[in-house]
Amino acid sequence: MGATMTQKILARTSGRDAAIPLAHGEIIWASPDLVTAPEVSFSAYIKRIREIGVTKLAFPERVAVIIDHEVPVHSAAGAERNNLTRKLAKEMAVGHFFDGAGITHPLMVEQGLIAPGMFAAGADSHAPGLGAVGALSVPFGFEVAMVLATGQIWMKVPETIRVRLTGACRPGVGARDIVLATMQQLDDEATSYRVIEYQGDGLSTLSVPERMTICGLCVDAGAKSGIAAVDQRCLDYLRAHGVGDLLPPASFNSDADAEYAMTIDIDLAMLTPRVSIPPSPNHVREAQAMSDIVIQHAYIGSCVSGSIEDIRAAAAILRGHKVHADVKLLVIPATQQVFQQALQEGLLTELSAAGASISPSTCGPCFGGIAQLTAGERRISTSTRNDPGRMGSNEAEIFLASAMTVAASAITGHITDPRAYAKGEAV
Amino acid sequence: MSTGKTSSGRAWKFSSDISSDQLISARHVFEFDPRMLRHHLLAEVRPEFAQQAQPGDVIVAGRNFAHGSNHSHPFLAMKALGVGLLVRSLSRGPFRLAIFMGVPVLMVTTDVLDAIEDGHQLDIDFSRGAIHNVTIGKQMQVEPLSPFLQDIVNAGGGLEFVKTTLVT
Repeated sequence: MGATMTQKILARTSGRDAAIPLAHGEIIWASPDLVTAPEVSFSAYIKRIREIGVTKLAFPERVAVIIDHEVPVHSAAGAERNNLTRKLAKEMAVGHFFDGAGITHPLMVEQGLIAPGMFAAGADSHAPGLGAVGALSVPFGFEVAMVLATGQIWMKVPETIRVRLTGACRPGVGARDIVLATMQQLDDEATSYRVIEYQGDGLSTLSVPERMTICGLCVDAGAKSGIAAVDQRCLDYLRAHGVGDLLPPASFNSDADAEYAMTIDIDLAMLTPRVSIPPSPNHVREAQAMSDIVIQHAYIGSCVSGSIEDIRAAAAILRGHKVHADVKLLVIPATQQVFQQALQEGLLTELSAAGASISPSTCGPCFGGIAQLTAGERRISTSTRNDPGRMGSNEAEIFLASAMTVAASAITGHITDPRAYAKGEAV
Repeated sequence: MSTGKTSSGRAWKFSSDISSDQLISARHVFEFDPRMLRHHLLAEVRPEFAQQAQPGDVIVAGRNFAHGSNHSHPFLAMKALGVGLLVRSLSRGPFRLAIFMGVPVLMVTTDVLDAIEDGHQLDIDFSRGAIHNVTIGKQMQVEPLSPFLQDIVNAGGGLEFVKTTLVT
């Protein structure tokens, strides 16, 4: 019996013989290669582990601390928290510290801090985005305090759901639509304590940031994590981002005789633009059936959809159009590097001229940190979740879709299938 | 193994699909003080809960409890309130967080859920999976947590559990 990507990673990080696959359901203690903690909780973890007598981190060089949720700071409490985070990051000698450089997950990938076969423990829910490069990245919340103190975390070896992608998306359809199509085939009982693994020829049509979209949102399908098979395109991306000495893909990927809990096949050419409707991301509808939904706000950004590809796609849809007079469009590049790239390509100039507001890289609106909604307002957004109250009022509504669908909707003022605006195809 | 958890208190019954954000709104994401968080637990679903819940009470809920954000806040609050959890199913991330915080948990069947109404008095032995509905005089049995997980809960949570192995 062969091993899945997840079994291979957990075998290595728990010091087990790679030749004997870990049993699904077995409990092991694994040692994460990377630990990520944003300013939201880092200081709370340090406070807690100091209470039980811990004075230093087990593996400080593996720890990344990131100020990303409240950037630029806009509250007295936030100013204190950021200041304390800076001080504690220094005191605890963490290996990597980023202060306003972007959102944790895309930042780790862009900075070359995550590579195929690594195991990452994240404090934040959307840590699975790191699966884009063939790493297993699991959100552990407050359990990260234990990883900081001991360098270890227990894991019950999860099963894997295989999603085989074939073909390529048509114009106007993208990574968001792939993950929403995946969610439509999986309920919470199917995904519980399982990893969603993407593979197949269709995966190679997706860039690494697009793979972050399909992996990062696996947590919103109820899965433990998401991971993408490693291919040449992934290795090329990593080399360009300073990751060297990479083994060939086969050493990371699932063996041909690996055991899966279930398999889903998705033909990318058959996909259509989709939208998550309230109250949760896995309530998925066809965008073209949603045109009676009037929106007042549109947002392009977040850890899963603030990449240069997302901003290019939005700018292409908006080219030759203006944001509707009754709509506020906010665009936030996920990292400062993406921001600078978008500046160099003239995309932010175009988006601004079309009527968009541009903000510095931050998680901001995704959890209601900025640009809040009031009762009766609706936003279409590329962010991660649409729980009532997530962006302000409980009586506001959040719809989630691709950057293309958000941009098209910002033009018309109602939820709009972007295919009519996408180059190469008319509806 | 340390002493198993038992509880005696009132059932607070909720539906299926109570999300993490409904348990504690994402607007409290920066708050980590359990003494503050306990006031926010379920505040927007059932405002009287946080004011009236007593140690030994249990939250009884259906499927897919705490789905969505993998936030630690609801479990810090449950620990501070001293309440336990009986659920039909629980997302894995939140399940881990409950254990890590030392919140006693039992996974229950639909039959058990149906036999508990809001306000019923329950005596529970978490280590044995024994639930006594005092109000209707019914004894029920479910699968307890594995010994490994019980050890973590009984130690008072994950950090207490690993305390002895820490290099300080």
